[in-house]
Amino acid sequence: MNKEADVKLVQNTANKKRRKVHSLEKKTARGGYLFTLPFIIGFIVIYLPVVFESFLYSVTTIERINAGESYQLVWAGLANYREALFSDPNYSQILTAGLRQLVLDVPAILIFSLFIAVLLNQKMVGRAAFRAIFFVPVILSTGLISQIDYSNTSLMTYMSDTEGIGTNAAQTTSVAEIVSAMDIEYLFANMKIGGGMAKYVSSILNNIYNIVNRSGVQMLIFLAGLQSISPAIYESCNVEGASAWETFWKITFPMISPMILVNFIYTIIDAFTSSTNSVMSYINQVYGEAGKDTLSVAMAWIYFAIVIVAVLIAAALMSAFVFYQRRD
Amino acid sequence: MNNTQTEPKVKKETKNTIKVEFDRTPFWQRMKAKFVNKNFFIKLIWAIFRYVILIGIAYIILFPFFTKVSSSFMGPEDFVDATVKLIPKNFTLDTYKYIFLENKYMQAVGNTMILSISAALLQTFVCAMIGYGLAKFKFKGNKILFLLVIFSMIIPHQTLQLSLFMKFRYFDILGIIQLLGGGSQWLPQLNVTGGVTSINLTNTYIPLALLSATGLAFKNGLYIFMMRQFYRGVPNELEESAYIDGSGIFKTFLKIILPLSVPMMITIFLFAFSWQWTDTFYTSLFFTRTSMVLMKNVIAIPESLNITYAGSSMYNAAIRNTCGLMIIAPLVVIYLFCQRYLIQGIERSGMTAD
Repeated sequence: MNKEADVKLVQNTANKKRRKVHSLEKKTARGGYLFTLPFIIGFIVIYLPVVFESFLYSVTTIERINAGESYQLVWAGLANYREALFSDPNYSQILTAGLRQLVLDVPAILIFSLFIAVLLNQKMVGRAAFRAIFFVPVILSTGLISQIDYSNTSLMTYMSDTEGIGTNAAQTTSVAEIVSAMDIEYLFANMKIGGGMAKYVSSILNNIYNIVNRSGVQMLIFLAGLQSISPAIYESCNVEGASAWETFWKITFPMISPMILVNFIYTIIDAFTSSTNSVMSYINQVYGEAGKDTLSVAMAWIYFAIVIVAVLIAAALMSAFVFYQRRD
Repeated sequence: MNNTQTEPKVKKETKNTIKVEFDRTPFWQRMKAKFVNKNFFIKLIWAIFRYVILIGIAYIILFPFFTKVSSSFMGPEDFVDATVKLIPKNFTLDTYKYIFLENKYMQAVGNTMILSISAALLQTFVCAMIGYGLAKFKFKGNKILFLLVIFSMIIPHQTLQLSLFMKFRYFDILGIIQLLGGGSQWLPQLNVTGGVTSINLTNTYIPLALLSATGLAFKNGLYIFMMRQFYRGVPNELEESAYIDGSGIFKTFLKIILPLSVPMMITIFLFAFSWQWTDTFYTSLFFTRTSMVLMKNVIAIPESLNITYAGSSMYNAAIRNTCGLMIIAPLVVIYLFCQRYLIQGIERSGMTAD
């Protein structure tokens, strides 16, 4: 009798336990759906239709009816794409120039932000102050402010011109450049690197304000990545007698390589929102013209498609070299 | 070994300190050993190099602000005077005064404040929620959902601007309003709403509120990613003990998880707030009427200052920059108080790419 009851009790608890585990699993699954519900709804109701309609607009033209109260789409096939690529006098030029600029800017931003992140990660006097200054552009030089900056470089030139009285126009432009191409070429002349490299470096140096402004978030991401590297690795490196240079290339660089990939993609996506992006501002200009709104959509999709294909190829190539530390 | 060490000679003794006489290496020798060697020189050169670079770049970042501030105090005469650089000769506050009075500055601050604070609060909370759901719950489609979040970040909204505008200009949820209004192909005889087939949501706060509430607004993918990485570092035991004590999922989230993640949420709030504050894309997309005064409307030349003379291009640039300064003034104050959290939050996130 007693035994039977015991067995029953054991069975009961076993049953209960199994049922409870099951329900907990279900419960957590439900919790997951509940917490991500806003995104799921938004994605289905707003985002997917928006992306789909954007595709749709690029192959149609919009006609407004009922005095603008509603609209009607007229199928246009690939006419918008054809017009963007072959009829529009400026688009293909601006597109190639913009893509070239992007190819030049992205490595500069990545190298610069990694360099500064490594510098800001070291212990020194005034580190907090430097960090605060370096993250100023993230907060303050976005949107409206960068638009104002972009529209008036003349004032900056005027203010930083220290020559004072007696300068003529030709001199002021040369003063505004931090380093002239001549200096760099002189520096590179003995290194047998070539004129292209010299031009690239001098253009970046003269564009440094823009580069600094655009590398704030990347710096933060690199800094977070650097913080997550265990100090024990550096310590053992130090004990083994590795120099700082070796430590950087053998430890820091591989450990930070996932962040380089993340920042690479982020920089390119961010370039779309940058006000210095000539392609995007041209597309905006076309968007503003009457009756050309679907043309601008086609232009945007061409630009985005080229960039994203290039990014995916580059990311696939890079991910072969990315080192993932195996955790736990 | 016999103990030859004698008692140290006490030179001076006070209540807290004691000075003992002993054979010490002479001062100069000690200094020499410390400072005249290769190691120290390398360190010194490295430190100088580091400071030169950091100070140089800090100068590049801050110099535009100096020029903007100094030119904002200059009178129009100063821009034709070649001897005036950076320090104004005709000190004036007119620029500020007229922007304040004629550009509807206070109205713009009020409107943008409502917009930015509500959007940022909503985005912070929603992104925390979604990030928590993605980080802590195992359910079917978790990984796909995370990929979708990344996907929503990858297509820039600039590419989607026309369809975003059309979506909210002719707003409709999955064709329901069109169906009720009789605009659809299947039930054209149905007409509940009296011919209205869509709602115009432009020039209201609703489009941005909807985007924020669904985690689709500007760079929300980044916020969700950051929150997810943060919550992955929070030990599971916290919630488990809360569950055992009989707390529900939402109560646990509100009472235990949210207070934990305040530093990270301040970081995200700061990003969301300041990017919304200076935003031009969404405000010019959704607010087409000028009656709704936002920050973008502040940038204009006030009529009292609109004079034509030799230096007017410089002067106008200075006025526009002053507008910019007045726009970022509230952000500067917030940044001064919160930059500590910004850096801490990012450091604590333990962001890795896995």
